[in-house]
Amino acid sequence: MKFLPFVLRNLARNKLRSLLTASAIALAIALVCILRTMPAGMDAFLSSIASNTRISTHNEAGMVYQMPYSYLQKVRAVPGVVAAISWQWFGGAVDASRGVEFPNFAVDPEDFGRVYEDWNVSQQALDDFRKYRDAAIVGRGTLEKKGWKLGDVITLQSTLFGLELSFRIVGEVPNPRAVQLYFQREYLVQAFAALGTPLDSTGMIWSRIDDPERVGPVMRQIDEMFRNGEAETTSETEKSFFGNFFGSLKGIVTVIMIVAGIVTLCIVFIAANTASMSVRERVGEIAILKAIGFRSRTIFTTLLAEAVLLSTVAGAAGALISLALTSLLRSSLVSTGPQLGPLTGFVVTDAILVQAIFIAFFIGILSGWLPALGASRRSVAQTLREVF
Amino acid sequence: MALPISYSWRSLIARGTRTTFTVLVIALVVIATTLFWSLIASLKRTLVSSGSPENLVVMRKGATNDGSSQLTLESLQAIRFFEGIARDADGNPLISPELVVQPFFATTDGGRENVLVRGVEPMALRVHDEVVIAEGRMFTPSSGETVVGRGVSRRYKGASLGDELKFGRGTWKVVGILEAGGSSFESEVWVDARELANDAKRTLPYSGVRLRVAPGADMDALVRRIGDDPRYALEATREIDYYESLSSSANTLYVIVIGLAVLAGVGAVFGATNTMYAAVQSRTAEIGTLRALGFSRGSILLAFLSESVMMALFAFALGAIGASLLGRSISWLLGGIAFGAATFTTNVIQLHVAAGDLLMPLALSLLIGVFGGLAPAARAARMRPVDALRKA
Repeated sequence: MKFLPFVLRNLARNKLRSLLTASAIALAIALVCILRTMPAGMDAFLSSIASNTRISTHNEAGMVYQMPYSYLQKVRAVPGVVAAISWQWFGGAVDASRGVEFPNFAVDPEDFGRVYEDWNVSQQALDDFRKYRDAAIVGRGTLEKKGWKLGDVITLQSTLFGLELSFRIVGEVPNPRAVQLYFQREYLVQAFAALGTPLDSTGMIWSRIDDPERVGPVMRQIDEMFRNGEAETTSETEKSFFGNFFGSLKGIVTVIMIVAGIVTLCIVFIAANTASMSVRERVGEIAILKAIGFRSRTIFTTLLAEAVLLSTVAGAAGALISLALTSLLRSSLVSTGPQLGPLTGFVVTDAILVQAIFIAFFIGILSGWLPALGASRRSVAQTLREVF
Repeated sequence: MALPISYSWRSLIARGTRTTFTVLVIALVVIATTLFWSLIASLKRTLVSSGSPENLVVMRKGATNDGSSQLTLESLQAIRFFEGIARDADGNPLISPELVVQPFFATTDGGRENVLVRGVEPMALRVHDEVVIAEGRMFTPSSGETVVGRGVSRRYKGASLGDELKFGRGTWKVVGILEAGGSSFESEVWVDARELANDAKRTLPYSGVRLRVAPGADMDALVRRIGDDPRYALEATREIDYYESLSSSANTLYVIVIGLAVLAGVGAVFGATNTMYAAVQSRTAEIGTLRALGFSRGSILLAFLSESVMMALFAFALGAIGASLLGRSISWLLGGIAFGAATFTTNVIQLHVAAGDLLMPLALSLLIGVFGGLAPAARAARMRPVDALRKA
């Protein structure tokens, strides 16, 4: 510790160089943080929404293959199922030319609160959702993005059916990652009736099971019940469902991780270049330090500390920059559509911040090690002869 | 008098370690941006190269893609007699009614993805004339046969020629492989429209219609004619515009990549500046001598600037080669990269670094070279020969 002022003095000696190096490292670390929000957003999404007692049942053939609506009653009757609701994709767009910006579904309001107990939707919202035909519950992510408030009336034009429906927002799903809009199935049924086509099918059924231990057997029982029926089903846990749903993003995530790795490697070279330049310029004075009795180990430690200090401080600054930049990204009007799903949430988590600072710390060690070692090992006599 | 270019070049080589580090930094920035940029460009190319300028897509009004559209038989019959549609030698209109369904397919690595299955009639191959059967033959209607796109056959279980492919409610025999110049049709599976309608239990047999406009006919008039007919609520779009609109999500991704390039680029500028400052500092005596010999300030500035630009260009070359090799291996290892499309189906794209994708990284490297060298070169040029010589 007593060498700290010495290390700081050395860093301050070439202020411009230290500043440039630190800025380069900070920018690169910020970039790594932002890139890492993409895969991390996926993980966080899966663990934040996925309940281990909630299962999805859908047609084995695919999401667009429907099931008879009567399946809902049959699923509700299975022992172990506490509550179940159906989901019907509406494909509503605020502005048809911009396409579907957030998923929206017609659901059964009676059991909504019991199936999504863990979502903490307020009791008032659930009551209103049951009471009013045109009620809608919207995820906080979409409310923030669109600037909507409770009580607002919004209109969605279905890209799937020739329909336009207006909804009154009565509640929110209080989670910034939640983006869906839910409305009453009955509202859609009536709109269909007005068109003269009955709506008697559904795309998905979500159920809550009383005991995590029973989830497996209940899923098997449901699928067995519909075997050879009008629509054969696949039941799976919520985590598996969304994991599969966003499974096609794996390739992009791989590319992002590779790019993040390359940027990290970049930082190593920037830092190593600076470390080796500083050491080379100081060859003479290092020899003098040794000649007047400083140990090689002390020299090594102070040089290494210089590199580590510079890169760790820069890393911390970079982490802060990434916080600012992501909040800018989130509030900007850039909409990537629902296809990239949870990849573009741009939320820098605490874990990413801590890891970024650790990465910077290790880059400091990695980049400072060889130059510091080289300098501390050089023969004094040899160096003094060369320099003076 | 200008300093010879070899002066800059040799100075770079003379300080090997420092140059190497900086070249590596810039090369890595080039690799990172090129990879990302060409991923999006590949997606965009796949979508934009789909479709023909002579074709129209007819869908229900309000539908954003043919996966969410339905068409009644009456409206199909009405379209058949519209003017301006191309006809074959027998006088049949080149109209391809199609049903689009997105069932699950099992990937070879155990996942599942939605794939676009297009139910078509024999006319489809004549309307989509860029689609060819590269291997095997076209399916025979009503016999449980299918032809699959090149991308599909690589990525999914049971999708090779001669295999039994399971999707929807049935099992289909793969009798042919489709190719369409790398466009998104290669991520599709084609089957008989009626068989698909049965399998998917669709009451309305078609999602939409693709048709070919007669040579010399007024395409805009036909578009208006279809869109204005109040009986059917249809909308016609040029096929190329339709695929362009599907690729619009890629445009916002470009913004993200440019942001990435700017951040990484500014970082690299700082790195290059450091190196060039050190170069100027360690050559103080040399600069003094050059000035004393009569080289002007301008030629010193130019020499250091070209040193920095040369370094950046060399790094660009290295990075471009690295990125294209890396892109190729990633694509090969993953069997193509899946991209969710607006239709909620999967586009299988090959990550390919095209020559045009290198323009942005090239511009970036040049900027890094210029901005990284500017301040240090200016400092070198400002040096007074007497001071420089005395300091050394």
